[in-house]
Amino acid sequence: MGVDPIRYRPWKGERTALNLRVYVILKSIFRHGLKSIGVKILLILSFLFVYAFGFMDVILFGSETLDAEKMSSNFNAFNLTLFAMLLAAVITSDLISEDLSSRSFVLYFSRAIKTRDYLVGKAGGAILIMSLLCFLPPVLLAVVSILTQSGSDYWSSIKVLGSTMVAGALAAVFFVPYGLMLSSITNRRSYAAVGTFMSFMVLTIISEMFVEIDPAWSVIGPARSLSAAVDWIFGLPSDIDGGALFAFLALFIIVPAVVLYWRVQRKAVGR
Amino acid sequence: MTSAVDDVDPRMPVGESAPEDGPPRVGSCPLSARDLTVSFGPVIALDGFSVDIPRGIVGLLGPNGAGKSTFIKASLGLLTPENGAVFVGGLDTRTQSLQIRDGVGYMPEHDCLVASMNAVELVSYFGMISGMLARDSIQRGHEVLDFVGIGEERYRQIRSYSTGMKQKVKLAQAIVHDPPLLFLDEPTSGMDPKGREEMLELVRMIGSSDKTVLLSSHILQEVESVCDHVVIISDGKLVQEGETKALIAGEEGVQSLTIRGDEGGMTRFVRILGEACEIVEAKEEGGKQMSLLIRGCGDGSQIFGLARDSGVQIRRYHPERLDLEEVYLRSFRGGGKDGS
Repeated sequence: MGVDPIRYRPWKGERTALNLRVYVILKSIFRHGLKSIGVKILLILSFLFVYAFGFMDVILFGSETLDAEKMSSNFNAFNLTLFAMLLAAVITSDLISEDLSSRSFVLYFSRAIKTRDYLVGKAGGAILIMSLLCFLPPVLLAVVSILTQSGSDYWSSIKVLGSTMVAGALAAVFFVPYGLMLSSITNRRSYAAVGTFMSFMVLTIISEMFVEIDPAWSVIGPARSLSAAVDWIFGLPSDIDGGALFAFLALFIIVPAVVLYWRVQRKAVGR
Repeated sequence: MTSAVDDVDPRMPVGESAPEDGPPRVGSCPLSARDLTVSFGPVIALDGFSVDIPRGIVGLLGPNGAGKSTFIKASLGLLTPENGAVFVGGLDTRTQSLQIRDGVGYMPEHDCLVASMNAVELVSYFGMISGMLARDSIQRGHEVLDFVGIGEERYRQIRSYSTGMKQKVKLAQAIVHDPPLLFLDEPTSGMDPKGREEMLELVRMIGSSDKTVLLSSHILQEVESVCDHVVIISDGKLVQEGETKALIAGEEGVQSLTIRGDEGGMTRFVRILGEACEIVEAKEEGGKQMSLLIRGCGDGSQIFGLARDSGVQIRRYHPERLDLEEVYLRSFRGGGKDGS
């Protein structure tokens, strides 16, 4: 097909508001992620291994009220952390690295979009997919529990539902900034994926090795620190010191987010 | 304290006013720079660069490292100047870069396409990021892909495309949102002659539809064939600018003269000629021939007389005509009106 003889035609449509453009990126990441066979398999397996038993228990046996300890145990399961680490590694690995390898940053930033919007779109899409593992199933489980509960104390059940939502949101966010940070420092998707998963695994192994000597080591294990944070959200006692836990969460969420912003900001101007 | 929008910047080009929101309004001077200085550490990329880019297709020429890409990035508001300012359609890049980028299309020189997408996905995706609704961007995406000549291949992943097809997709993503100002950085890079001609034809078509196109290229013949106006930049400074026709027309009153003869005769002729009129430039060509640019020699009858007396032949004698390559080279080495 040669050059179209119809010549150039102008476009007269309306533009959307600047602050809505971030949703284009977010939606694209979410849809692209859900098309991936690997992501679908991980989501199905995680549901079977993490939540299926909980749903069967609630549906078959029911409970008097939604119990905070029981809901918290869903997040404390090592299986959930393992699947969350895997899923985060898979979905975040190409989000920045692909733009690095294709040098497509310039196409984003030659448009009316800020570095912050770009990152919010990318991270938002990843967090939405993570929510399918960390947020949606436990919230559904909590709702089903409330609907099938035999007792009349709905208020305490709804409070637990609220805690479940907060804990689910934390679990969905927890692994994403680190994964995105690693994705922003390499242009090879495989390096980012393996790096993300192995970082979490190595920390988990170190934590498990030294926790017998000193329980304070448990804070550096993603599974244990996430579980401690979830316990704190549900108002349950935790073995981990609150200050150390906050520092670890900051280390795993805020520091990678800052590094990520700095990396992308530099790339935006072609450095 | 007043906002940047409230104040009229004294450096803003005459006749331009800054719209408070929305994409830039492109007036008679869609893009201008005033005393623009941008540096990367110790390297000064733009050094007090000032220029007014008129409407139409404008060629941006300069050697590698001259500051062309830096100027484009500064115009997009991606770089903060240390000094001076860039105004796009009356908007200041320092404070209104998002509005500016909404009305600008950019085709980078290097590979920048997401290899795992197909052309329709990529063009419509960036159309949506430019603010188009999904249904508009898909329809418009197909339209601009038709325009650039990407057929059914648009449904294949971009990783399988040839260089020429990638260049066309890069152009398509730059025009999908119909920007009034377009930056094309080496649009024919890596293309075969047929592809280059097609690309230049596309640029002509876009330029003829009331757009301003700033075309950065190393291929001077392309710039000469497409651009209405040329800006030459070197070491971050403006070296020369003007309408292409005027630049290649040569200076009024300057004649190009080619003589042939023995060395003594040519030397004698040049000496006598220098007394009779001004020699702007003299170049020896292989010992037996010389090319001269001369000024103020009247109708030429005197020259023929001098040549006869000196025993040299006049091979060519006509008003000075240049090509852009000559203009470009003179800008750097000096010679004639343009490089003096």
